[in-house]
This record gives sequence, C-alpha cells and structure tokens, in this order.
Amino acid sequence: MKFHKLGIQTFIRIASVLIILGAVVELVSLRWVHPLAFVLFAFVAVSLIGLGILIYLASLVFAGSTAGEKLPAPR
Amino acid sequence: MGSTGILVALIVVTIVLTAVLLVRPSITAGTTGKILAFVALCVLPALCIEAGMSTHMQRSEQTQFCVSCHSMTTHGQSLYVDDPTYLAAQHFQNHRVSPDMACYACHTDYTIYGPFKDKLQGVKRIYIQYLSTPPATIHISGGYSNLQCLHCHAGARNFEENAVHHAMMDSLKNNQMSCISSGCHDTVHNASAVAHLKMWSPGQ
Repeated sequence: MKFHKLGIQTFIRIASVLIILGAVVELVSLRWVHPLAFVLFAFVAVSLIGLGILIYLASLVFAGSTAGEKLPAPR
Repeated sequence: MGSTGILVALIVVTIVLTAVLLVRPSITAGTTGKILAFVALCVLPALCIEAGMSTHMQRSEQTQFCVSCHSMTTHGQSLYVDDPTYLAAQHFQNHRVSPDMACYACHTDYTIYGPFKDKLQGVKRIYIQYLSTPPATIHISGGYSNLQCLHCHAGARNFEENAVHHAMMDSLKNNQMSCISSGCHDTVHNASAVAHLKMWSPGQ
C-alpha cells in the first residue's frame, strides 16, 4: 500500500496511538529513579513519540499532495 | 508542584488531546482542528521529550540512581567507610560534595554526562549490567582525570598554598601526575574491601 493512498485520518490515528503509547511509557519511566527507567525513556518512549511526530508531519506532506491532485483543472 | 509534577501534567494533557484526535480524527478538517492536531501531535510531544530528557538527566545525577545498579552497591557502601584516608568517604561524610549528588560531583564526565563517546560507554555498561556479566573490579576507561578534582579544588586557598600541590601544580593541571594514583590520595573507594571495614552511621 502506498502512503499517498492513505487518508490523513489514518496517519493521525497511527500518530496518535504512537504518541499515547510513548507518553504512557514516559509516565511509567518517571515512577522510579533507576538506570533502566532512563533506558526505558530514552529508547522506548522517545522512539514512540518521535515516530508519532514524524508520521504526523508526513501526513501533512502526503495530505497536501493528495489535496492537490483533487483540485479541478485550470480553465 | 515540582518540575516532575509539571512534566506529568504536560504528559497527561498530551495524552488527553491526542486521545481526542484518535477517537475523532475528522475534527482536523477544520482550522481549529488543524491547530489542535499540530499542538497535540507535534508541539506537546516534542515538549514531553525535551522535559523528560531534562528530568531524567537530573535524576541520573542522584547518588540513589548510581548505587541502584548491583555492581555499584559496594561503591555506594564505600561512602560510609569510617576511615579518614578514604577519599570518597571523606568527601561524602563531610559534605565536601552534596551527599545527594556524591557520585556525579566527582564523575561529571562519566558515561551519560560526558560527550557522545562516553554516552556509548554508558549504554555498553547498561548492556553488561543486565545482559552480560559485570567485571569484578570496575575501572574508568582512560583513567580518572585530575580535572574532576580541580574543578572544585583549583583556586581554593588550602589547595593552592599547600607546598606539595604548589610544587607539582603544572603536572597536576596537565594530568601528567594523577591525584589518586601517585601515592598521595590513592585510597578512593577500595570497593572490594568494604565488607571488612568499619562503617560510619550518620547520626551516631
């Protein structure tokens, strides 16, 4: 499946899930002071939230090109 | 509300706003929805990462953080050795360094606090701690830099006016002669021996 065929709402749903998961992991990592909490945050939470942000930004790009394709041809 | 409380509130707000978008992504069709999506899916998560990293870095400077690793337990115990020749213990017990940040005060370039190469070393040590076998004796790769001592002691009157220090000041500042392994202050942690030493109990 090509990315530009996915609607912006699909992108937003995927980004939302990733960001919520990352935020929950970050909350859990704040529960205790331990090197593993740092690892949990730095490797899991940051990756999930970062990926969510990237997918959202990608949705802006792909949604823009999709909208362009739907514009009526100039007369 | 402390900085951690503010961060938790920020994360909760992010989760709530993002959940709204998850349930009803169609609201992004309007201008307000687009702004909400930008804030909830870009601005707030980025703030969560930045604030989270800052909080975790601050927490990692705590003595409690360092000694929570099993292989650091004896190093933590060595801070309570009742012997004035034990350098780390004397700094800790006499509050020459903050007891809450005793490890970080003398190891400011260690693992995650140092440049990228040191951060990789930190990841390697975490790997060894949890997925391999930690060595019986832990050594700092590259040795202990005098700069860690001098960032407090340099310029201090009792340090500068000490005849022995004065005579070798250039060697100390150039790291040619180590403070801790040149026969002067060579008993630092001696972690392997703490089980056999008399310990100091705060408040006694």
